[in-house]
Amino acid sequence: MKISLNWLKDYIDLTGISVNEIIEKITFAGLEVEEVIDQRKNYENIVIGFVKESKKHPNANKLSLCKVSDGEKDYNVVCGAPNVATGQKVPFAKVGAVIPNGNFKIEKAKIRGEVSEGMICSEKELGISDNHDGIMVLDPSLKEGINFSDAMNLNDVIMEINITPNRSDALSHIGIARDLSAIFNRPLKLPEIKLNESKIKSEELAQVEIQDAKLCPRYVGKVVTNVTIKESPEWLKNKIKSIGLRPINNVVDVTNFILYEIGQPLHAFDLDKLSQKKIVVKTANENEKFITLDSKERILKSIDLMICDAERPVAIAGVMGGENSEVTNETKNILIESAYFNPSSIRKTAKRLALSTDASYRFERGTDINITIWAARRAAQLIQETAGGEIAASEIDAYPNKISEKKTFVRFNRITKILGYEIDKKLVENILSNLGFEILSKDNEMLELKIPSYRNDVEREIDIIEEIARIYGYNNIPEVNKISITLEEKVDNSFFVDKVRNTLNALGFYEIITNSMLPEQIAKQFGKPISVMNPQSSEMSHIRPSLIPGILQSISNNLKVNERDLMFFEIGKIFNLKNEKINSFNDFDETEFLIAAITGKQSRTVWYEKEREYDFYDMSGFVKTFLSKLLPNSEFNFSVNTNDGSYEYSVKIIHEQEEIGIIGKIKNNFLTQFDINQSVFAVEINLDKIKRIQSSHKGFEELLKFPKVYRDFAFVLDEKIEADLVIKLIKQFGSKLLHNVNLFDIFQSESLGKGKKSLAFQLEYYDKTRTLTEEEVEKDFRNLIKVIETKFDAQLRGA
Amino acid sequence: MLDKINTTKKNFDEDIKNVVDLSSLEDFRIKYLSRKGIVTQIIDSLKDVPKEDKPIIGRAINELKKYTFSIYEELKSKLENEKKSSENFIDLTLPGRVKEIGSKHIITQTLDEIKNIFKGLGFSVYEGPELESDYNNFEALNFPDDHPARDMQDTFFITEKFLLRTHTSPVQIRLMQSKKPPLRAIMPGKVFRNEAVSAKSFCLFHQVEGLYVDTDVTFAELKGTLVAFVKQFFGQDVQYRFRPSFFPFTEPSAEMDIWWEPKGKEGRWMEILGCGMVDPNVLSNVGIDPEKFVGYAFGMGIERTAMRKYGIDDIRILFDNDKRFLTQF
Repeated sequence: MKISLNWLKDYIDLTGISVNEIIEKITFAGLEVEEVIDQRKNYENIVIGFVKESKKHPNANKLSLCKVSDGEKDYNVVCGAPNVATGQKVPFAKVGAVIPNGNFKIEKAKIRGEVSEGMICSEKELGISDNHDGIMVLDPSLKEGINFSDAMNLNDVIMEINITPNRSDALSHIGIARDLSAIFNRPLKLPEIKLNESKIKSEELAQVEIQDAKLCPRYVGKVVTNVTIKESPEWLKNKIKSIGLRPINNVVDVTNFILYEIGQPLHAFDLDKLSQKKIVVKTANENEKFITLDSKERILKSIDLMICDAERPVAIAGVMGGENSEVTNETKNILIESAYFNPSSIRKTAKRLALSTDASYRFERGTDINITIWAARRAAQLIQETAGGEIAASEIDAYPNKISEKKTFVRFNRITKILGYEIDKKLVENILSNLGFEILSKDNEMLELKIPSYRNDVEREIDIIEEIARIYGYNNIPEVNKISITLEEKVDNSFFVDKVRNTLNALGFYEIITNSMLPEQIAKQFGKPISVMNPQSSEMSHIRPSLIPGILQSISNNLKVNERDLMFFEIGKIFNLKNEKINSFNDFDETEFLIAAITGKQSRTVWYEKEREYDFYDMSGFVKTFLSKLLPNSEFNFSVNTNDGSYEYSVKIIHEQEEIGIIGKIKNNFLTQFDINQSVFAVEINLDKIKRIQSSHKGFEELLKFPKVYRDFAFVLDEKIEADLVIKLIKQFGSKLLHNVNLFDIFQSESLGKGKKSLAFQLEYYDKTRTLTEEEVEKDFRNLIKVIETKFDAQLRGA
Repeated sequence: MLDKINTTKKNFDEDIKNVVDLSSLEDFRIKYLSRKGIVTQIIDSLKDVPKEDKPIIGRAINELKKYTFSIYEELKSKLENEKKSSENFIDLTLPGRVKEIGSKHIITQTLDEIKNIFKGLGFSVYEGPELESDYNNFEALNFPDDHPARDMQDTFFITEKFLLRTHTSPVQIRLMQSKKPPLRAIMPGKVFRNEAVSAKSFCLFHQVEGLYVDTDVTFAELKGTLVAFVKQFFGQDVQYRFRPSFFPFTEPSAEMDIWWEPKGKEGRWMEILGCGMVDPNVLSNVGIDPEKFVGYAFGMGIERTAMRKYGIDDIRILFDNDKRFLTQF
């Protein structure tokens, strides 16, 4: 909200306080000043100049050579304007000034051989109007030398203040002035209202009927007759312009002025356009159509509160008036509306119609129900002042259920307990009374308070403590430099996942973070995604049911910038529907998953090795290392997956019969959708599942004191026999002394026969308690050869 | 005999100076250390020494033997090495066989740093779901229905009652519902805001929330804890200030600014976190007596903090996952 410093000064004396101090202090009181426009700074070094002499430039026909005085010194100025003349008072930009329109700096210069030490400005150059026909000629009574900004009253400071949603009381100049009054301990001055009223009463000229007192607790009306609608006087136009609004006419400007003065939105009806001169406040008919002031047709719902006359709606309550009752140049008689509406109702209507106005903004935050009469009277006063006419006596005050005063209390020791710092009792009282809290009673322990009706945000003791703290200043409450640590159980939910990240980093993977929201068409291919009711775009309509699309998108982004060899992982939540509709947390799964993917070349050709593409075994090897580091005492098996889903081919990662993940090659169909033209191998692991695996600490294992014995053999067998099957069999039939089986060679050639392959294994034998004998190893080894030969119809190639 | 030993040693030292390569070393060896060599002969002559002289002469011979052999071996290995390196040239400037290791995303790294500071101050780390109920995300946190406060956080709704959490504060509710005070924890995680994607905002980001509930928690302690944090995170000489603000779930509420001077730009105050004393309504909502217990809470955006720290001015680059970006951290 824009606040004018000059306007503020109508309500509080700020002499002796610098603009910077005001800005800092109100920011520190919770009214954050986000931007400051200091008009005076725009006119620095621009003063009132007196043209002592003006004659033709000796070397240029169209230029004049002037002597301009600032009261102390005379300056030579070359001027190009046709209207410059001796004896004028002019805006004179001295050397060093920056011309507001165009932002250029005045420097001493030679123009056609003559020295020029400044510039006489046009209205356009000063940013006052678009007039550039000649220089601006000023009132001859102005004293030369004084600042142009002071002379022209262009000395305002406009502050853009960010008002938090709780502070509806601060959405006006008086509201801000009230906080300043508490901060600087200076009195707040409200404008005095003295009305010259006619004998006829407002209620004789108009009637108000509230049908829905819940949505409209109070409606005040006041009539002004025989007005003349015209342009507002300068002072009013300037005020309206200073806060960035456009002046419209005297009556509308008055209502806008009061909104920004006290925060009460007003509406002015053309009384003669109201059927039976009657106001009825009631909810709309479902799907009723209504044309608002901005000439747009709105479709209403039965929950929308409307201001109607005897026959039809004339305004959407608290949001916008209607075209049918608008004040026009022909308007003679006016009904001023000053009401209090239910905030939630106004918010619903304004939100649904996507129609946020200055009025609705204030009503939905809560206005002051007790300021309605004052505001109506203030409006009548200013309308008469600017538009003439007669003010009808008294106000129509429809206020069916009087809202009772709010009271609360504050205990001094509670202030100290919450803040950890004691604030002087006298100071507490001062702060609260300056903010408008009435002290109903006090003793050594506490204050009993009446809450002013404009403070919709204050109800409880803690709200009062906040008021005290913010005015006292948070920065004046000293921070402690010592804390105690309580010894309750310490938990770190993220410990395991952090370990996952570290392990993957060590293996060479970079962590990525991708968007959790996907287009429907992509999301549906990877699970049962949950849709968002109000997505930003169709590109983000569903929450990810899998981490695959995100990592493929990232790979795709990289290929576009020619980064082709990638090892990425992401850890994140995935979401899948369990039931059609979500009514509880049981209707969907939110699961923490890990995905890691590799693509491109494992190595590029370098002096010590040849290039090689990543393949499935790189990925399965990574997974093996990863799991053995992460959960060293748990056993994981890979088993070939027959239902591949997103993968061309894949294996399941199994732990104690439970599938905890999958490793595979991503289907080409998906790669094409992401413009990826190279193979991608990925692993997905359900982190929620592996977090549950109890990794028991089995402790230190005695180091082997006896030698290991190795035996190698190779077999020719059918190429379709999986190596893992052979290894499992060797382990199953090997004696207790056999500890490891290592596949060290795979070989296929014509010489082996069609459809055949050779597998070579190394067997590792040892015993923890003794040295093995040649015979016992040999016996087991021979036995295994026989087993393999018979089980797989294999031939021993060598041993 | 002793004279002979001394002379031999002197000659040995003299002659060895003339040895320059392996072949002259071989001549030298033959002269002194071969089976017929001078030193060998002296060693052999020990058997002819009278018995009474043997201890002294013996020791002298032994020393000569040790001395000459060790000098010889030393020189020999030196010469051999010289020869080897001149024969097999090793280019030590070839690039080594590099093994690339990965890194955590800059958001994770920043969070780790924040986590470590608060763990040091006795905080636990809790996490919670991203798809939350309206109750946990808003109602329990004292956001009235149909209140403009809800506009502060543009929400992605799943249904009327479920949404993508707009902040990590619902984890506070879950924690306070499941455990009794004292509670001191931070709660990091992903949050979502229905805001148009631009250089300044993304539809999701990460937050870390802090909560401390006990019988003697104060605003002064909240300030002290956060000051300790920003000093450790941004540097001991960081300038900071607290401003009153508004959050429905804290009262009094504050925002903390630090003075920020980006390279080549004018310095200004920048908001880095929101904080305050837990609103008594929130404590009541989770069944904690607000008269007996007091709490403070704070929360900050990790992306913003990371961007500030590393001088990144477009948030979208954090989610592009460009390898040229990832490898920088």
